[in-house]
Amino acid sequence: MNWNAWIPLLVVASSLLPGLVIFSLAEERVRLRSTLNLAGALVKLALVGWMLWGVYHGRHYETRLALLPDLELVLRAGPLSLLFVTLSSVLWLVTTVYAIGYLEGSPHRSRFFGFFSLCVSATVGVALSGNLISFLLFYELLTLSTYPLIVHRGTEVARRAGHSYLVYTIFGGALLLLGTVWLYTLTGTLEFTPQGFLNSLGEEHHPALIVIFALMIAGLGVKAALVPLHGWLPQAMVAPAPVSALLHAVAVVKAGVFGIVRVVYEVFGVSFAAELGVTGPLAWLAATTIIYGSLRALFQDDLKRRLAFCTVSQLSYIVLGVAIAGPIATIGGVVHLVHQGLMKIALFFCAGNLAETLGIHKVSEMNGVGRRMPWTMAAFTIGAFGMMGAPPIAGFISKWYLGLGALEAGQEWVILVLAGSSLLNAAYFLPILHRAWFQEPPETWPEERKFGRKETAWALLLPPVITALMALGAGMLASAPFSPLGWAQLIAQREFYQP
Amino acid sequence: MNEDIHSISLLIVMVWPLLLAIPAVRSRLPWPGHLAIMPAAVRVILPGDSSFELSWLFFGTEFAIDGEVRWILAMTVAVWLLAATAAKSSKSDPTYDRTTTFFLLTLAGNVGVVLATDLVGFFSFSTLMGYSFYGLMIHGGNAEVQRAGRLYLIFLIVADLVLFEALLLAASTTEDLRYKVVRQAMVGTSSTQFYLWMALVGFVFKAGIWPAQLWLSSAFKSVPFSRALLLGGVPVSMGLLGMVRWLPFGEHAFYVFGMVIQMIGVASILYGALRFFTNATMKMLPAWSIITVTGFFMATLGTGLVYPALWSQYEYLTHPFIASLGIFLAALTFTIGRLQDTRPHPAFASRKVEDLSLWVGKWIGAIRRSSKDRLFGLQSLWRGSWLKVKEQPQRILDWGKPAVLVGGWSAAITMFVLLGLMLAWLAR
Repeated sequence: MNWNAWIPLLVVASSLLPGLVIFSLAEERVRLRSTLNLAGALVKLALVGWMLWGVYHGRHYETRLALLPDLELVLRAGPLSLLFVTLSSVLWLVTTVYAIGYLEGSPHRSRFFGFFSLCVSATVGVALSGNLISFLLFYELLTLSTYPLIVHRGTEVARRAGHSYLVYTIFGGALLLLGTVWLYTLTGTLEFTPQGFLNSLGEEHHPALIVIFALMIAGLGVKAALVPLHGWLPQAMVAPAPVSALLHAVAVVKAGVFGIVRVVYEVFGVSFAAELGVTGPLAWLAATTIIYGSLRALFQDDLKRRLAFCTVSQLSYIVLGVAIAGPIATIGGVVHLVHQGLMKIALFFCAGNLAETLGIHKVSEMNGVGRRMPWTMAAFTIGAFGMMGAPPIAGFISKWYLGLGALEAGQEWVILVLAGSSLLNAAYFLPILHRAWFQEPPETWPEERKFGRKETAWALLLPPVITALMALGAGMLASAPFSPLGWAQLIAQREFYQP
Repeated sequence: MNEDIHSISLLIVMVWPLLLAIPAVRSRLPWPGHLAIMPAAVRVILPGDSSFELSWLFFGTEFAIDGEVRWILAMTVAVWLLAATAAKSSKSDPTYDRTTTFFLLTLAGNVGVVLATDLVGFFSFSTLMGYSFYGLMIHGGNAEVQRAGRLYLIFLIVADLVLFEALLLAASTTEDLRYKVVRQAMVGTSSTQFYLWMALVGFVFKAGIWPAQLWLSSAFKSVPFSRALLLGGVPVSMGLLGMVRWLPFGEHAFYVFGMVIQMIGVASILYGALRFFTNATMKMLPAWSIITVTGFFMATLGTGLVYPALWSQYEYLTHPFIASLGIFLAALTFTIGRLQDTRPHPAFASRKVEDLSLWVGKWIGAIRRSSKDRLFGLQSLWRGSWLKVKEQPQRILDWGKPAVLVGGWSAAITMFVLLGLMLAWLAR
């Protein structure tokens, strides 16, 4: 029996099975639910670690299951898919710990953790998909499993946000499906292939391919929050903090951006996409989103809403890196997939801590909060400086490669976009830090909960601190083996330099 | 073995202040500020050059000490020891912990900047130094200090952005980002001019050189002297050091670029001197001195760019000059601060300044009268400013009160200097 053929499937199942069991658990079975959650996360992490080691040493892991005549469900571990799977698995473990602490004592936890596990299974499925049809399947499953998490609070605002999310993402899914079917009629295959599988098509198909590209980018752009398809994301921030962390750093938006990366690299091929002339408009769209998101973030007083617009902006760095269509920019874009995840999840955890511990939801309420919650705000500070691209935090490495990639590709205008975005990042993050560290705190906080001598519960404090340190480590140890940067270089090498 | 010890000692110089910046690590240590700088002081005294490479840090980076760096490190030690001594806060002070953290982070950044051998290392530690210094500067300060901090922060952000662009241009030209290699590589490429201007603007902003002196003068005006004494030794000196390390001196003649730097230098000298004569509160004395002295330094740098051979001949003087400047300014600020603490109204100290101030005022008035028709636009601005100064002469000499020069007066002097620059340019 070849175990390597089953490992990708086991990675998906490691969260799917516990999730299904959790649905059936009574609310009071806290310990069993937590054990199942954490055990699933740890098993997944171990399996992913095994595959990382194997792929690094040239082994292949692939699961193929018959789906329809001529169509298979394919799960395959390559460098690009493993980058996303590793990110999701590591952050899922951290988010699970956080969610256990965050939702302590709240209702409907079995439902929440059940969908939470389904959501991660779908994300891992998206990452490991070996062809477009498998991708599409998991992509839609992700949409459906995330909806209950967004509306979890059950308030009117949450329901409206959920409705908006469904409308946007189902519309996006339909566009993606249309593009996929059209592509299948032209090529007869949907298998993801390094450097794409379309360059053998004749020139007479080019107009159709341009339209297919537009359809797919529009479909994926909904989850990737590309302007003007981003409307659902700031609304969805009404969801509990662990869901926001999941949406913004681990699963949903990342699935959209990852889809764009896959379509450009493994469906069209970056050289062929550039030849078709579709990468230029994509770069401009990404640049517009970067600046637009930052400008909108500048005017938000709600902390999570400010972070949501920051996500809109930062995600497009990845798209920009892909659209610049060069090896160095690819490194910048792909590595930002991980870096943005680490920094953003730390920021959302911190926002959740402020809300849960002190009842702080607005930037204007954050005066002196650094004195009350120094560890949380230290993690927030690292995340914020990382987003600004300050060294030695991970964001600096991303901006460095994006900037160099732009210069290499002769697209100097990108430098201005990066500089403008950094300036705007500073403009909306530094006032928060100034308030938190240098303003006098109020006499009472909006809704303070006491945790003895600790600033908050351990389960809430450790995840932001750990993820902030990971963001710092990913920047400082960028040259170390197995760093996200090293892995991104491997991906770029395969895309651009292998015959 | 000996080399290993030297390398390890260099690592300790950098890591020790960072470790002490963590409150739990230093909680039982007395005088953490003094202790943090000790390894650096020992390394200055230890003979011999050494270096160590951290291949895993960033993209791989190296730190080193040689004869030139030793000057700057010695200055750093002196300035920080002085600052640690001047800091009055004790452990009972509620702001002690946070102030000490910012103090030690700034120190760690400063030491890293001094010891870095490549552009990425310099930039990274300069970022740590710059933002931590902001915290140190404004912590516990009043509204005026906060305003000065905001100005500093704006200049810092823009400087960092511009320097990042320069860094990218350098990295796209050469993979090896050590100073010497970059200086050689950034000559005669398509991006040379852009790189030069970006680096110049970045360091002019960072060092508070005219016309970006606004944050520096605001900081001197409002920040307590125990922190103000760091202004000359930390942002200003490190800005000048950055210019020396990043710009391609001695490699090629850059006539226009060099002349612009010379002009900036001359303008700084004029501006600093004029402000010295017209706004000579003792507290502001170091500010105008810095602007004047950095003006001389800039004029020299400009000359070095125009005449590379001349630079090669006198290059060895730059590091001792920067070191002397940092120490002199820190000592001056420290002395003035101490005097201010012990003698709240020393009218004697400003008497001479008052005479000069009036004399310069009359001189400017004469120019104003003689150029009434040609400089009609500037006339009302000068007159208004001068009347305000004449109406309140005693406030100029007041100790402890905020400095009084009105914004319009400052604008007039700047315009005057710009006019002079334009005339000099046309007369070429």
